[in-house]
Amino acid sequence: MSVEAQTIVRGQRDVVMGLTPDASMELLQILVDNIKEYAILTLDTRGYVTTWTPTAKRLKGYDADEVMGKHFSIFYPKEEVENGKCERELEMAAREGRLEDESWRVRKDGTRFWASVTLTALRDAKGNLKGFGKITRDLSEKKQAEERLRQQGRDIMEMATVPVVQVWEGILLVPLIGMLDSARTQQLMERLLQKLTETASPVALLDITGVPTIDTQTAQHLIETIKAVRYIGAEVVLTGVRPVIAQTLVHLGVDLSGATTRSSLAAGLRVAFSLMNMHVGASNGNA
Amino acid sequence: MVSEPISVIKVRNVLLVSMPADPDDSTVAALQDRTLDAMSKHDVRGLVLDLSKVEILDSYFARTVAETAQMVGLMGGETIIAGMRPSVAITATELGVTLGKTRTAMTVENALDLAGQAERKVKARR
Repeated sequence: MSVEAQTIVRGQRDVVMGLTPDASMELLQILVDNIKEYAILTLDTRGYVTTWTPTAKRLKGYDADEVMGKHFSIFYPKEEVENGKCERELEMAAREGRLEDESWRVRKDGTRFWASVTLTALRDAKGNLKGFGKITRDLSEKKQAEERLRQQGRDIMEMATVPVVQVWEGILLVPLIGMLDSARTQQLMERLLQKLTETASPVALLDITGVPTIDTQTAQHLIETIKAVRYIGAEVVLTGVRPVIAQTLVHLGVDLSGATTRSSLAAGLRVAFSLMNMHVGASNGNA
Repeated sequence: MVSEPISVIKVRNVLLVSMPADPDDSTVAALQDRTLDAMSKHDVRGLVLDLSKVEILDSYFARTVAETAQMVGLMGGETIIAGMRPSVAITATELGVTLGKTRTAMTVENALDLAGQAERKVKARR
């Protein structure tokens, strides 16, 4: 920046700073007192509260007379205080100049909120530590939005891993696509049993059309699932048994004779209807 | 702990036996004795074993249920297990319980329907 430019900038600042120091301090005070979403306060070098603002009261719930001179550990969850987080943060802020942290904080009424905290070391012109400035922002809403997104992601994953669809009153369909490993078959068993009891469905169509290959272990898991479904009083019809799967199962020596199996989903659906004593046919009088 | 009593009721042509939530070993043992005793006293076609309250299944309980079903079979009755919870069913498969020809139903109501159907078939054959 040239000398002229610097002068201009300084000149402009002088115009802006045309207020008396007191008046500008007052403006700053108004800003600090009214800024929303942020709690601004100061601590002494050991972490005791030295300034309290209306914004801090709004966020944390304490009145000035309740909190002035108290150690700032009252804003932290008990377990964090016990493991020495407050001291660590002060030490870090003093050493590095500032510290940023996102974690749980506690309000006066004991409720927790997710906060972003900036702790700034305040030093005088000679570099002596005078205390700390603390700016806390309530991020609960952001945190909740993130949590909702994560939950949606989990739900979608779960649905993709083990999709369970009710195709008829009393009949659930589980169209499995992709390889079946132990973890997935375990999930399959749990979710299927849960859904069957929830919907009081006596029949589940387990469709393996989209399962490329089956090994001994997977077959064993499927047999266990079929057994467990029987224990709760329902029945599994295994559908989508393609020629290559049928060959594999026989060569592996897997005994599925206890289970009802069909090659197509349509045939399986007919079995399901007959298990429920329902008859489906064209309404031309001789159905 | 006072063990919860097992209820053994005769409903139409079957015995309805309900197990408490977390039966101890003596309750489980009593299940078999009381059931077989009632089978010999009443002229019934079989047994509906209501497990809908049961939350925990151990190997002793599982074995006793399977054995009782077999014994009832020897006495000429059919056993239908009703209302087993998903978590209990998973434990049962892990324990390797085999129920043989024992039938199952989701609810006691369904079990009574099943028992009724079996009876009607027998009557129709006569």
